[in-house]
Parts: sequence; structure tokens; C-alpha cells
Amino acid sequence: MIARIKSEITLWRVIVAIIFTTGLYATYVRFFEGFRASTNLSDQMPWGLWVGLGTLCGIGLSAAGFGISAAVYLLGMERYRPILRASILISFLGYLTVMVGYLYEIGLPWRFWHPIVMWNHRSVLFDVCICIMTYMTVLTFEFAPAVIEKLPWKVFRETILRYHHKILIAVVLAGVLLSSMHQSYLGGLFLIARGKIHPLWYSQYMHALFYLSAIPAGLALTVMAIYLCMRSLKVRIDFSILSDCGRMIQLLLIVYAFFKLLDLVSNQALGYAFQRTSEAGYFWLEVALFLAVPIFLLSFDSVRSNPERLYWTSAIVVAGFMVDRLNVSINSLQSAMGAHYVPKWTELASSVLVIAAGVIAFRYAVIYLDILPKATVKPSTRWISNGGLPAQT
Amino acid sequence: MAKQKAMLIDIKRCIGCLSCETACKQLHGFSPDPEPTLSDTAFTVVETRGDKFVRKVCMHCDDPACASACPVGAIGKSPLGAVVYNADKCIGCRYCMLACPYQVPRYQWTKLAPFVKKCDMCSDRIKAGKSTACAEACPVQATVFGDRDALIAEAWNRIRGDSSYVPRIYGLEELGGGSVLFVSDVPFEKLGFKPAPTGNQPMPTLTASALGDSPKVVIMGGTILSALYWVTQRRREVALAEAEEKATIDKIKGERS
Repeated sequence: MIARIKSEITLWRVIVAIIFTTGLYATYVRFFEGFRASTNLSDQMPWGLWVGLGTLCGIGLSAAGFGISAAVYLLGMERYRPILRASILISFLGYLTVMVGYLYEIGLPWRFWHPIVMWNHRSVLFDVCICIMTYMTVLTFEFAPAVIEKLPWKVFRETILRYHHKILIAVVLAGVLLSSMHQSYLGGLFLIARGKIHPLWYSQYMHALFYLSAIPAGLALTVMAIYLCMRSLKVRIDFSILSDCGRMIQLLLIVYAFFKLLDLVSNQALGYAFQRTSEAGYFWLEVALFLAVPIFLLSFDSVRSNPERLYWTSAIVVAGFMVDRLNVSINSLQSAMGAHYVPKWTELASSVLVIAAGVIAFRYAVIYLDILPKATVKPSTRWISNGGLPAQT
Repeated sequence: MAKQKAMLIDIKRCIGCLSCETACKQLHGFSPDPEPTLSDTAFTVVETRGDKFVRKVCMHCDDPACASACPVGAIGKSPLGAVVYNADKCIGCRYCMLACPYQVPRYQWTKLAPFVKKCDMCSDRIKAGKSTACAEACPVQATVFGDRDALIAEAWNRIRGDSSYVPRIYGLEELGGGSVLFVSDVPFEKLGFKPAPTGNQPMPTLTASALGDSPKVVIMGGTILSALYWVTQRRREVALAEAEEKATIDKIKGERS
């Protein structure tokens, strides 16, 4: 008996247990003791890790859903259809974590519905709220077939799916536009903080840069998620699709790097990168992780076509993206706002809890629903490449 | 329409007695101990800069960044000129704090139902025709309250009448102007007044251009994407028709042979 219990205790289960205990405690502190007890936020740093990591990274890393659905449904790139559902699921869960995180962030969470009825069209944050809520509906709609097709009532199922199919393209189109809007509005949030944001990040085109950087990051997260599914969940997928995603990520990163450089030069802000300041340090960390290293690595075929190497390169992209968003939302503001903000452990623990819940939901969705082509093949033949054709179940 | 009210703060006259701070705290029922910076229990403070005293208080901008930022429209400019906060709408997102160029709004970090706190130019008092508490308390008329036009004239009079004044009214045009005006005998830059991030343009112009572009982007993007979708659909149809045609021909050929 004891031996059986012991065999159930694996490293990852222990980690999950720790995440849930600390996270739930942090949640308790947040909602029953308030901001002062649960955060290091202050009048000088009103937004911290919850906004930087929870919202900015959460939405940005969920960008693959609209990217891949635009590619498949609107541009006819059928090649990416096998990873379409997975990317929509990632977006769906990503936005769900952001919505839960929103309840932690705002001071009066029971008024979460206020933006729906109290409009201020001049506010970027209002537009973000409305776009995200509407897009959440779109994502639910796009993802619904995966659940509906598992329902036991045949007529009901087929009727729904038939109508679903009829309006799908219109909804996808709306979703792409909504995503493009709020992905860029997240950058637009910081436009009004001119004079506070360090010149290495402030630009009148921040919203455009946010948009351009979100798509490669979202794709990188999708690659990571699918790799992990292949490794642990008996998912069989044509790996060359992910290789192509790697190539796409590289291309998009080069485009972003070009515009970021152009922006720095036109704002005459490049000089700040060579000063001996902490901001310059953070800037170079971001450049290295998000741009230089991945662009270099992804130019090698031996990296793109090797699952493990592609996975780790994608992980670097995701890490670099997170550095970028935290730079904009926290590091770039510190000196002008006169703040010394280091997140409290409760902020981190609650963020990690919400993210972990999303990851676990993803795992069970992949197991119980038809998200990715499944197969019961031996581990050695998991990486199947059949000349670029989508894998069949 | 009611005439816009304003406050004129004369740094030359200020003697740093903190009467304004105390009066403000008394009016709101806060503990009377002076605080070093603005807080949720100090809507105005008197800061010492060299041998001068500078009042820090909400500037009551004409086109406030905080009001444009608020997602639920909880902040607005009243007809009398005060920038007022509607606690019933606020969700506590604290975007106003990020947006305000003067870093004025403060938050009740210790409360379980926290609200934003800032000077409201004694909104209730001025509606009743009274002066603001701080102006009333000032023993040397370093802070005076009145109609904005009259105070601007008064400020220019003081500047013209005394050559030691800097020939500038801070708050008249900065960031589009507001209802709190400063005059001083020491250049404002030396007193810790930061250069206005958008010059004489109101801060909301920064986001207005980005938001104003979005309808265009949506319409253009929607059109382009629809066109692309039409092209891919058409291609698919053509490919399908060609394949069918080929299959029929093959079938006929097969039957003949």
C-alpha cells in the first residue's frame, strides 16, 4: 500500500501540489486581506506583475489562435489545420486565465461587469476590455465543436454543428479583427504614459510593436505546447508543420526586429541602449532572448527539424517575450515614477496558480477531446513526417 | 453655464505654514499629522524646495489624462472646473494613476474595498458658492479661489506689478491648461515642475490618434481578409471542378477502351 502511494508521488505532482497550496493561500490573502498584504504595489507603481505577466503576457502568448485560424480559414493554408484546434484551445484557455487574473487585478472585483454598461470610448483600457470580452465569445464559438461533437445526442449535435459551420467564416473574420485590435491596444495602454516610460520603449507606435511581437510569441508557445503533447500524451503529428512554424517565427521576429530598430532610430532613442543604466541592461536582455538568439538559432535546419531543439528555441522566444512585456509594464516605469518595485511572493504565486490551472485544463482537454491527432504508436516512431501531408487519425 | 472656477497658487507668497494641508485634512476627517507626499489621506501637501514652498495638488486639467483613461468613465470635468471622481463607477483598475502626468491620484491600498483618492476642488463647497477649504485657510492669500478668468487677470497683474515674478503662469497652457494656476519668483524647473510630456497639447491626444485609426484599420483589414478568403475559396472551387472534370474524362476514356 505504502509502496503504491509512493509510486504515485512524482516530481511534477509535488510541484503541482506546491503551486496549488501557495497559490490558494495567496488568493486568500489577496481577497481577504487586500492589496497591501498581498502585493508590493504602491502609488508609485500602480500596475505590477499581475498586469505585466497576467494580462500582457497572457494575451500576447495567446495570439496563435487568431494567427492560425486566419491562416487556415481565410488564407487557405490547409497545412496548418492539424494544429488549428490546439492553437484555439491555447488562446481560449489563455484568455480565460487573463479573465480570472482580471479579478485579482482590479480593486473592486465584484464590479467586473462595469465596463460592459459604463462606456468611455476615449479609454484604451475600455476598448481592451470590450475587445477581450467579445473575442472570448468568438473563441468559445470556435472551440465549441470540440465539445459539442462529444455530446451523446446525435440530432442535436448535428443541427448545432451545421449552423455553426454556416457562420464560422464570419466569426473567424471578426475574431481576427478583434484580436488585431486588442493585441495592439495593449501597447496603446502605455501611450498615455509619455514622460514616464523610458525612451527605449516609449514610442507613438507602441501599439503596432505590441501587435507585431505578439504573433511570433504566440506561435512559439503553440510549438512548445504541441511538443509537450507529443512527448507525454501519445499525440502524433507531422513534425514538419512545427518546423514550418519555426521558420514562420523567425520571419516574424525579423520583421519585428526591423520595425523596433527603425522606431528606436527615428525616436533617436538608440543612444540610451549604450548607457550604463539598468534599463539598458533589461533592453539588451530582451534583445538577446527575444530577437538575437532565436533568429540565429532558427536559421539552422538542424534546429528547426529537431523537436527538442525547436522546443527549447521556442522557450527562449517565450521567455524573451515575457521580458519585453515586463520591461514595458514595470522596468521602464520605475525610475520616472520613483518606484522600487519587486513583486511580492503572493503576486507571483497567484499568477503561477492561474497559469498552472490553464496548463492542466489544456492537458485534460487534449486527453479527452479531439484536439490533436492521437495515435498509439511506439515512442520511437513518434516523429512522423509524411512529405508534409497532414497527419490523419 | 456656470463660470469655470480655479485656484491661483502664489509660490512667492507662500510661507509654508501648512494651513491648507490641515484645513483639507480637517474637512475630510483625516488625522491632522502632515505627510511628506500625497496619499489617500493627504490630497494636498506643501513640499519644501530650497527656501520655497510648493503646494502639490490635483491640477484639474481641462482635458484630463485620467478621465480619458478611465475605462468606465468614473472621472470627469465638472462644469465648475473641478476634475471629480465617481466612486460608484470605479472598478479599481488604477489606470488613472498610470495616466496622470502629475502622479496625483492615490489608492487606498490597505482597504478591502479600495477607491481612488484625490483632490476634488471641494466640489460640494464650490457648488454651494463657497471657496475651497485650502484657499479659505490660507493666511497670506498664497492660494486664492475664484473665477478662472478673473484669476488669470489677477496672476498677470501680480507678474506685471512685481518684476521678481517669472513671467509665466504654470497651468494656464501646459497640457491644454487647467483650473490650478501657479505663479512664482523662481523658475518652475528649479522647483521640481517637470516639463509637460506633450507640451501644450492635452495628454488624451496621445491615445486619440491610435484609437482614431482603428475604424480605418478594421474596415481595411476586413476588406482585405474577405478578399483573400474569396480568392482561396475560388481557387478551391476551381481545383475541385477541374479534378471532377478530369475524373469524368478518365471515366469516359476507360469505358471506351
